[in-house]
Amino acid sequence: MNKTMNYLRRYWVLYVMLILPLAFFIIFRYIPMGYIQIAFKKYSIVQSPWEMAWADHNGFEYFIQAFSNRDFLYALRNTLMLNFLDLLFGFPAPIILALILNELAFKRFKRFTQTVVYLPHFLSWVIIAGMALQLFAPTSGLVNIMLQRMGFEPIPFLNDPVYWVITYVLLGIWQSVGWNTIIYLAAIAGINPELYEAASVDGAGRFRKIWHVTLPGLRPTIIVLLILSLGQILSSEFDRPYALSNKLVTDVSNVISIFVYNYGIRGLQFSLSTAVGLFQSVVCVIFLFAANALAKKTGERGIW
Amino acid sequence: MGLRKGLTILTLCLAFVLVMAACTKDNNAEPTPNTQTPASNNDASGSGGTDSRLEALGLDANLRFKETRKITVEIYDRGNDGGTPPEDNFYTDYIKEGLLRDHNIEVEFVPVPRWTEVEVINNLLAANQAPDISVTYSYPTIQAYANMGGVLDLNPYLEEYKDLLPDLWDLLTDSNIYWNQDPHTGTIWAIEARLAVLNRINTFVREDWLQKLGLEAPTTLQEFEDMLIAFRDNASLLLGDEADKMIPFSTSFDIGWRADHLLTSFVPNDITDKDIYVYGFDDRHFLLPNYKEGVRVLNKWYNEGLIWKDFSLYPAGDPTEDNLMKAGYVGAFIHNWDYPYRNGEDSIHANLQRLVGPDAAFVAVEPFPNDAGVYKKFLSGPIDRKIFFPATNDEPLASLLYLNWISKLENRLFLQFGEEGVTHEKLEDGSYKTLAATGEKIMNSPANIDYTLTINGLDLGDPDLTVKSIANGYAGVDKRYVEIAHRITTNQGRIGKNVNVGEIKSEAGQGQALKEKRDAILNRAVVAPPDQFDQIYDSGMEDYLRSGGQAIIDERRAAWEAVYGDKTMLD
Repeated sequence: MNKTMNYLRRYWVLYVMLILPLAFFIIFRYIPMGYIQIAFKKYSIVQSPWEMAWADHNGFEYFIQAFSNRDFLYALRNTLMLNFLDLLFGFPAPIILALILNELAFKRFKRFTQTVVYLPHFLSWVIIAGMALQLFAPTSGLVNIMLQRMGFEPIPFLNDPVYWVITYVLLGIWQSVGWNTIIYLAAIAGINPELYEAASVDGAGRFRKIWHVTLPGLRPTIIVLLILSLGQILSSEFDRPYALSNKLVTDVSNVISIFVYNYGIRGLQFSLSTAVGLFQSVVCVIFLFAANALAKKTGERGIW
Repeated sequence: MGLRKGLTILTLCLAFVLVMAACTKDNNAEPTPNTQTPASNNDASGSGGTDSRLEALGLDANLRFKETRKITVEIYDRGNDGGTPPEDNFYTDYIKEGLLRDHNIEVEFVPVPRWTEVEVINNLLAANQAPDISVTYSYPTIQAYANMGGVLDLNPYLEEYKDLLPDLWDLLTDSNIYWNQDPHTGTIWAIEARLAVLNRINTFVREDWLQKLGLEAPTTLQEFEDMLIAFRDNASLLLGDEADKMIPFSTSFDIGWRADHLLTSFVPNDITDKDIYVYGFDDRHFLLPNYKEGVRVLNKWYNEGLIWKDFSLYPAGDPTEDNLMKAGYVGAFIHNWDYPYRNGEDSIHANLQRLVGPDAAFVAVEPFPNDAGVYKKFLSGPIDRKIFFPATNDEPLASLLYLNWISKLENRLFLQFGEEGVTHEKLEDGSYKTLAATGEKIMNSPANIDYTLTINGLDLGDPDLTVKSIANGYAGVDKRYVEIAHRITTNQGRIGKNVNVGEIKSEAGQGQALKEKRDAILNRAVVAPPDQFDQIYDSGMEDYLRSGGQAIIDERRAAWEAVYGDKTMLD
């Protein structure tokens, strides 16, 4: 008892300081959860969520509606496809870039390169979409004008679904690769230099050192970031597909967030869009847990 | 020690503030059910009872409230460069002063961005903060909120106060006031403003190119196509060094609007009112019979290099296409009836004359007869914005008096033309000529349509004067062009009729999604290789119908038959 009192007397300030973040989470993260019930109720503007009538089918009317809606299924497919491609190509890119940057001997050039590659992170997707139009439009885009001058056919970067997906993924890598590299470079900086020296003594070359020292050193970081990315597999950005999209590629570019925007905000189906949002979150949480469990099974620490 | 104490106090204060904020947060969201119903009408029915009735309403004999009432009114913000704030300027002062003087009503304007009006009014409604007099072009939005109990039924108020609103009735007439009345329940969720001029769209071609190539203005589809081919094949003659920039025909992602006269010329001339209604859910006429054949023409043109290749890439509001027109690369296009002449010094017309030369100009032509040789145009009914009162409006009478005041001829003419000698002058023939205004008397939109809520377009009470005044309204444009455009745009038009069969439930929430789908189908069909055109169009249409389109068609047909029986034409 005395021990506890002593402890509290010493550290009470820390607990008081915790109030602020706790209040933040309670007010802005937990209280709004009460509104999740909109997904199970018939939305009415003049009633509070507690008073609204339950939806049909034991409250699951809007989930059934979503899953029987073709546009939702397309959006689900597109979200999974684009996120999977992002993961496949976008996830390794910063690791590779970090390894390359780490090997650069000329320090000033390394810093310069690093700055150049992380600057796009600060551009909004609306700006990037505008730049993409200037560069990649079939007749007036700079790249296609140059291709045509050199005697090639213009490439439909933005107006053919397959090329659009490629452009989408590449632009995503371009925008974020430098920024994501920072964390890997930090991890590399934390690797014990003695390991490299030891490897040199053993006669390891540059690639051997990368393979046997740097990469294993990066492994925990990679795993944690991979788990976090897997937790995002079904969440969908809005700005990026919306800004880059056009009417010729809606078959592949309409993702869940755009579906929610069109049906929910513009179509006033608040219950439907809440249901879709809830579904999205639940799947993401499942993925997060699964990835974490898998990581632990393979002997990694996971994220908790 | 001092620092730690300070930090602690700060933390505690912040936490306290946050908790307080959380406690007060929900209170505002409490619904305010509208329990107010119109005062009983008994007083007015007896002879000589009018005064006591006005008394009961809080009005004096001049319809002035004895106690000042306050209302809020929605106003579109068009984000005009160099304009004044839409909620506070010379014209809003005119309205505010007028209403305070005539009715003792204080008016506050609430700006809503024009291009995202539906989203913003949604948000305001959802937050119970919509202006007392709200306005939108989207009836489904009003219907959706009405179903949730968020909109005031205007029917009892209109009936009760009809005799107090003579100017509103004069301008809108029964037709627009009862346009949306539900045939089953009698509710009126919104009244329709008057669309004074039914002008919609036109087909424009470069007049100077026609002359250079010795061509007449095209009067058939074939002639139009030959003209486009002539533009393409004579690019070097017409554009010199810039021949590779030639765009014989330009359009945008919104094919349904930007090729409407061509596409609807394929619809059979004898289409019935019933079919127009049943297939008329989409305002671009997408579902009307034989529409596909019109799209096939565009597909052919696209594959022959007659259509701007990049049309589908630019989003709404992007100026790229306009700039191409201004620079003189575009030979023909379909757009709003006066599109090249709008915007004064920055109009396509003015830019073209500056950049290309004084002969360069777009002129309206009429090249698309239908199967009966008629240049038919599908025109909307004489309706415009939908004016509604949200359930939070507790001043319905003051709001209606506002609408009446704004409908009075002298008031709306002042708003449309401003001060004589400053923003307009009267010509000898009695017509008005708009003058370029400067400073705070610049209008936020042509003829101030945002302030004349109950009417869109000019109506001087005399059709002849109205047309002349419209033509006078384009500074720096030869009157001839405007008159041609004005004549053609409604020539042989078929005016939309009011089909009022009650709510169509399957339309709820579908508008935006189906609109996106329609645009995607049309864009893909236009750029398809010719041998894949049918497959792409048909599968797109099938998807459209299965995604809700067919349900709407079926419900509309059933609703029509329930109300009109076997009739296929309305009176």
